Amino acid sequence: MSEPILIAQDLRKSFGDREAVKGISLQVARGEVFGLLGPNGAGKTTTISMLTALLEPSSGKIMVNGLDLKAHTNQVKAQMGLVPQEMALYTTLSARQNLMFFGRIYGLRGKELRQRVDEALRMIGLIERADDPVSAYSGGMKRRVNIAAGLLHKPQILFLDEPTVGVDPQSRNAIFENVEALNRAGMTVIYTTHYMEEAQRLCHRVAIVDEGRIIALDTPAALIRSLGGGVVMLGVADAAPENLTERLSQVPSVKSVTRSDGLLKIETQRLQEALMGALDLTNQLDVRITSLEILEPNLESVFLHLTGKKLRQ
Amino acid sequence: MNTLAVAWKDLQMLLKDRGQILLLFLVPIGFILAFSAVFAAGQQIEEQVIVVPVVNLDPHGEMSGLLLQDLNDDRGLRTQDYDQAQAEAGLKDEKIKLALIIPAGFSADVRAGAPTTLRLIYGPAASDSEVQAVRLVVAGVAADLSLQTQLVGGLSQMAAMMGDAPPDVQVFTSERIKVQAETQFERAKSTPLVALSARWPDQITQGREDFSPSTFGIAGFAIMFAFLTAQATATSIFDEKKEGTFRRLLAAPLGKWELLAGKMLPNFVIAVLQMVVIVAASLVLLPLIGQDAPSLGNSPLGLMLIAILVALCSTSLGILLAAICRTESQVGGVSSVFLWVAGMVGGAFIPAFVLGDFLNTIGKVVPHYWALQAYNNLTIRGLGLAGILPELAVLAGFTAAFSVVGLLRFKFD
Repeated sequence: MSEPILIAQDLRKSFGDREAVKGISLQVARGEVFGLLGPNGAGKTTTISMLTALLEPSSGKIMVNGLDLKAHTNQVKAQMGLVPQEMALYTTLSARQNLMFFGRIYGLRGKELRQRVDEALRMIGLIERADDPVSAYSGGMKRRVNIAAGLLHKPQILFLDEPTVGVDPQSRNAIFENVEALNRAGMTVIYTTHYMEEAQRLCHRVAIVDEGRIIALDTPAALIRSLGGGVVMLGVADAAPENLTERLSQVPSVKSVTRSDGLLKIETQRLQEALMGALDLTNQLDVRITSLEILEPNLESVFLHLTGKKLRQ
Repeated sequence: MNTLAVAWKDLQMLLKDRGQILLLFLVPIGFILAFSAVFAAGQQIEEQVIVVPVVNLDPHGEMSGLLLQDLNDDRGLRTQDYDQAQAEAGLKDEKIKLALIIPAGFSADVRAGAPTTLRLIYGPAASDSEVQAVRLVVAGVAADLSLQTQLVGGLSQMAAMMGDAPPDVQVFTSERIKVQAETQFERAKSTPLVALSARWPDQITQGREDFSPSTFGIAGFAIMFAFLTAQATATSIFDEKKEGTFRRLLAAPLGKWELLAGKMLPNFVIAVLQMVVIVAASLVLLPLIGQDAPSLGNSPLGLMLIAILVALCSTSLGILLAAICRTESQVGGVSSVFLWVAGMVGGAFIPAFVLGDFLNTIGKVVPHYWALQAYNNLTIRGLGLAGILPELAVLAGFTAAFSVVGLLRFKFD
């Protein structure tokens, strides 16, 4: 990994008795698109809030570009851009007025400010409707303005917190293209989502977050590879023989088998071969199958494999 | 600079909200015009004279003539001649409410110093206050007349007793004494030795003493509505939190205090502007509806300081409301109750001294009271800047207290 632009060490955050983030450590390389993938309530937004100095961690340390966030808060904030999950815009003002305002807040003035606003409006395809009030825009258009507002000052790190929630497919694609273009231009992007397709498409590395912890962190390909050829979840009747687990692990292409409460989790190297072998064996042993679920190898099934829960639960 | 950027953004948003502009500027002016119109109607009612039907059974008498002349002499009464039958029928049919009967031989009796009685008859249609007013005026005029006649009569007798003295000893003839006494009575009526001046309580004997209800009304409403902008400050902060823009601003390289100052500045400007517009509009519009233009006193600097302190106090109250309320609906509820009740007990609608001792004392715990005292001292009582420094100090104290508690309790996340 190239030189890290952001380092978080053992971040923890408690709200009263509840610990929302339980010791997250990560490093993000300069120019990387880094994903935080997890279900709602996993602790992604709390983590982002700490990384962007919105929340003070209960403990832990954050370094950005070699600067301690706590000691150099405003200096670090000027290098970061945040696109929050909410549509954080002034809806009675036009897109241009919104962008002019957010540009001013980041210290842009005069001709430079006007140029950056025009560039941003062109990038999001709204230059023609720049002077309409934001309240007159569709959800997708608002999302694009929301993103542009975080980009005006050309941050070194852009935090995108669930930027595609409630967006139509066309606008979603436009957002993906914008993120990819920004990253090609050298911007580091930290992207939180609970849509595994987005993480898979955009992110160089993904941290899977659950219950305030990172439970896996690697490239999407490596995470998927860790699942092998896929997973078969086989429900069997209680009367199934005790040695079924051992017999199944000897089936060709089966990597491992675990049994819990009548549910067999069969990790495979080649899904189809392992599935056929497992079904033949249960047939031979006269084991009654109560359920069958096949997990194709993707980030969703990686998450399910790691946590036993679905991403969109 | 970031503070100005936040403030300018809020002002841009306000300019797009016509309803809010209407509420801030036109509604207070509407209130003042309505209040003044009601007051003008009240004044007309107060200035109405009471018509007193008089049955004069001594039609050619000198004393009855003097009595009627005095009754009609700017005392709020106007007599109207009736004959006895007309008056009795009028009272019976409730076409007239009361009637004054001057008995036959009234002038002769008064001249002779013999007791005589004026009779005031009133029917069920007459109000107690009306009867009381007529009774007091008639009794007063009759007492003056009796006293004057008796004194002149006495002096004339004394002059007559001196009639036998040699002419060189008679310095004052009977005629001269009578003329002198009557002249003194006339002078006593027009320029009394002891005068009664009716004034509003609290008025001070310096400079302008006339209590001007229009000036009072303008002060009350201007201060009341300036304090209502506190709600706008608090609501604006809650709106930002609800929409997520507050979070976005906190992620920017913008100090927390810069952000709050940016939220306070537009409402401060609006409150000052609102007071200026209200006073300016009143100067132009009130004379158009027949009311006096409000007095602005003699200290423009004092007026400016009142406006600035009221606006600061209102804005810091807004921060306090945003800090102690947990939801936007709480802001609406708490602000409405507190600001209107504070306006009421502070004397914005009714002068504090009219509210009675208890409410007047309670009024002192709200900033409205002190702002109104300062304004009235300046404009109605004619004091200068030095005279309102105590009130300004109390207002500054409220501002400091609201700011400190508000900022200490403010939740940024």
